[in-house]
Amino acid sequence: MSFTYLITRPEHDDTTHYLSSWGKETIKVAESQGVRVLDLHGERANKKEFESKIKKLSPKLVMFNGHGDSDLVTGHKNQELIKAGVNEGLLKAKIVYALSCKSAKVLGPASIQAGALSYTGYEDDFIFIYEPEFFTRPLLDKTAELFLEPSNIFVESLIKGNSVIESFERSRNILKKNFNRAVSTLESDPTAARFLWWNLKNFKSCGDLNVSVK
Amino acid sequence: MSEEISEEIKKLVIARLETIPKDKKISIGNYGEFSKEELIEGVKSGSEVGKKIIEVELEFLRALKQGIVT
Repeated sequence: MSFTYLITRPEHDDTTHYLSSWGKETIKVAESQGVRVLDLHGERANKKEFESKIKKLSPKLVMFNGHGDSDLVTGHKNQELIKAGVNEGLLKAKIVYALSCKSAKVLGPASIQAGALSYTGYEDDFIFIYEPEFFTRPLLDKTAELFLEPSNIFVESLIKGNSVIESFERSRNILKKNFNRAVSTLESDPTAARFLWWNLKNFKSCGDLNVSVK
Repeated sequence: MSEEISEEIKKLVIARLETIPKDKKISIGNYGEFSKEELIEGVKSGSEVGKKIIEVELEFLRALKQGIVT
């Protein structure tokens, strides 16, 4: 498929380490589909590099991994990458997904106002559980998988040419399935259910939900 | 009265947090990563992450009660 996918993967604390490792899986899927990938990993997840790449190479699909707030998403060492009222116009004509906290609340709608095709993210904090013993092998962490696999499914579905709404529903369905699994094993580990539900509740998409990368 | 209710809520949330396995940590957005002991301490001290975890727990319990969890 002929389009460009830009992904930011800061990796300076436990949370970004996990998001980065799982986000890398979406790169493999993109490359297997012949998609051009711009991987802003580690220190490269900075504003200068981000603005340069997005202006020069005009990716159709953008995925942010990292910390954030209602009006912004950050990169390496929590430096601001994109902020409502500052540079959200860079997202014009793009399908955007932010695995980040709260940005669907203000930055999402502001991006749509500025011309983004769609913006998907979380209206409140994204929460996940992980097992520190798997820190060096996050993809083997079955607890983290409950939270991060649904996120990857959203992006991978977009990469394969499905619409935002189709991808959103696929991701939600996996989150629901994982929630139901967690509830059914309440006796052994009741912790995951409430946080899966929280993420499900705050997972939002705005803009043109019928758009795809095709 | 409200202080009394607040203490009741804290006890409820702490009881739920006690069930988190010791070998797991929780990433809560910009607040960082926490063990269950750290979250319990946050609830007791009224820290920002303590308030957030109370919010999450209470909203989840309300949703369960109303049957709108999925």
